[in-house]
Amino acid sequence: MPETTFRIFRYQPDSGETESYHQDFQLEHGEKTTLLDAILRIQNEQDGTVAVRYSCRSAICGSCACKANGKTVLACMTQVEHVKTDSGQEIVQVDPIGNFTPIKDLVVDMTPFWEKFKAVKPFLIPDGPAPEKERLVPKAAMEKIANESKCILCAACYSECNSLAADPEFVGPAAFAWGYRFAADERDGQRKNRAKLYSGEHGVWDCTRCMFCNERCPKGVDPRDAIEKLGSIAFQEKVTSDKGARHAKAFLISLRTGGKLNEILIAPYTDPLGAPFNAPLALRMAQKGKLPKSPLTHKVKDRDQVKKLIKNVKETI
Amino acid sequence: MPRQFAYYPGCVAEFSSKELNATTKALAPLLDIELLPMPQATCCGAGDVAEAKPNLYLTLNVRILSEAEAMGVDILTICNVCTLNLRRANKMVKDDPRVLEAVNEELVKAGARPYQGTIEVTHLLWFLATEEGLSLLEARGPRGLNGLKVAPYYGCQLLRPSSVMGFEDPDRPQSLERLITALGGEVSDYEGKSRCCGFPIILAREEVALKESHVALSGARDAGAQVMVTPCPLCHLAMDAYQRKTEQLMGEEYAMPVLHLPQLIGLALGLPTKTMEFKRHLVPVDEVLSIVGA
Repeated sequence: MPETTFRIFRYQPDSGETESYHQDFQLEHGEKTTLLDAILRIQNEQDGTVAVRYSCRSAICGSCACKANGKTVLACMTQVEHVKTDSGQEIVQVDPIGNFTPIKDLVVDMTPFWEKFKAVKPFLIPDGPAPEKERLVPKAAMEKIANESKCILCAACYSECNSLAADPEFVGPAAFAWGYRFAADERDGQRKNRAKLYSGEHGVWDCTRCMFCNERCPKGVDPRDAIEKLGSIAFQEKVTSDKGARHAKAFLISLRTGGKLNEILIAPYTDPLGAPFNAPLALRMAQKGKLPKSPLTHKVKDRDQVKKLIKNVKETI
Repeated sequence: MPRQFAYYPGCVAEFSSKELNATTKALAPLLDIELLPMPQATCCGAGDVAEAKPNLYLTLNVRILSEAEAMGVDILTICNVCTLNLRRANKMVKDDPRVLEAVNEELVKAGARPYQGTIEVTHLLWFLATEEGLSLLEARGPRGLNGLKVAPYYGCQLLRPSSVMGFEDPDRPQSLERLITALGGEVSDYEGKSRCCGFPIILAREEVALKESHVALSGARDAGAQVMVTPCPLCHLAMDAYQRKTEQLMGEEYAMPVLHLPQLIGLALGLPTKTMEFKRHLVPVDEVLSIVGA
């Protein structure tokens, strides 16, 4: 039977411990023992004060997310031996999920996560009076939101979101996966309002596309893809005044007028009011030849094909 | 016979960061690579077009893949973002024949060549970090980096999502480390090497973006690196051009020169410094050049 050292994050402010530290526990365990079972055995057999949040043990409730050797996982669906192979380390260090404040050991304060979840209005808001019979939805329409419907709100995505680390107010990947799940539901009547609600200062255009959320989600939700689709819905609903949307528009203009990026256009078009404040950097970049001398667009060969595609291709979001 | 690629430098390397394009082109013959131009190729949309108009993004990127297919060669990129966008479109049409059919219908209607799905997209880093690539470097008998302490900086989109990229473990990437070591440099390892540079939102959310690049810049500095190297020109802009702004925002000094990957290889192989156009960098690289004796 394998034996592993578990280096567990400890923080017990209720007991007067104001500083966190890591404590090592040795455990002999089975080849297929999950990380959660290992932690619970340590709690039962070695130190009853080790705090961990869990419930279903079956990757459904989303309670037991934590970091194993730096990578956010669901403890109940991750085998200890896999953590070791994956990370190339013999010791398994267990930490609370990131971008949260720990309350006690592996338990974090989820309040901001739930507040943001509530803020996206994660429920159906149909238009008009309720029908007499149930609303029938074709299978194809549900398939569009099938991925996002799998979210169990475990916060594995939130834990490693790079935008959240820099801007704690960012709504974040899980809440937006739910936002898309309802914005794209054909029974919902709030598509445009949702596009407006999600496009605010800490909204969808805050996403830096680090792709950690897609990489970490244990259920294959791909929250970044949901955020991207919310961007498309914003475009379809003509909610495009945010700087992030204007940035995307500058790319569309570049494609239409030449085919390649027009780097003279992109900064002032994205942020017309802020551009003057960036003048010192623009000047330094110009001195180094980083800005083009000519405002002419870069034209690709057979540009008429590109123009036709821009005109013809219909969006189906 | 040199290995031929359809060369897709991407907009940033072609315009703002010409030094990357110039160095790659100068380096190619030394590595027995022939870079064939793609005159029809548009911008990949940088993730922005995918966000605004997903079907248009897909169609435009498949048109790029189709141009390479007509040339009969795979695509070589030198930008993380272009690599992700092209590979993602490639995967979407290769995974689902109905999607390919719909895209081809649009391409044909616009007078463009339909795509058969036979092309692969690779990044220069991936090509060089294989046994084939490393043996090409060895064949040049590298002059070496003279123990230069190099912080590898991957950024995001060459690693994640791994379902689309898939060259290496996104949590334990080693390709840059392999190259740095093979070229006679010393790896300065640090946690921030695969975190985001913030560039995709640097114009729309500057402060958020700069706080992101701070993680990597301060990590590389604290690891004792003398220089940072990146395979992506967008990361380069965030780390080099915006570095002073990040210093001002965070109240810290990094003084971290940042090289494009081909420049690091060029230094080791003795490419003339003038060719690599270091004068276009905002953070001076003079100390790096003196350490490697360039």
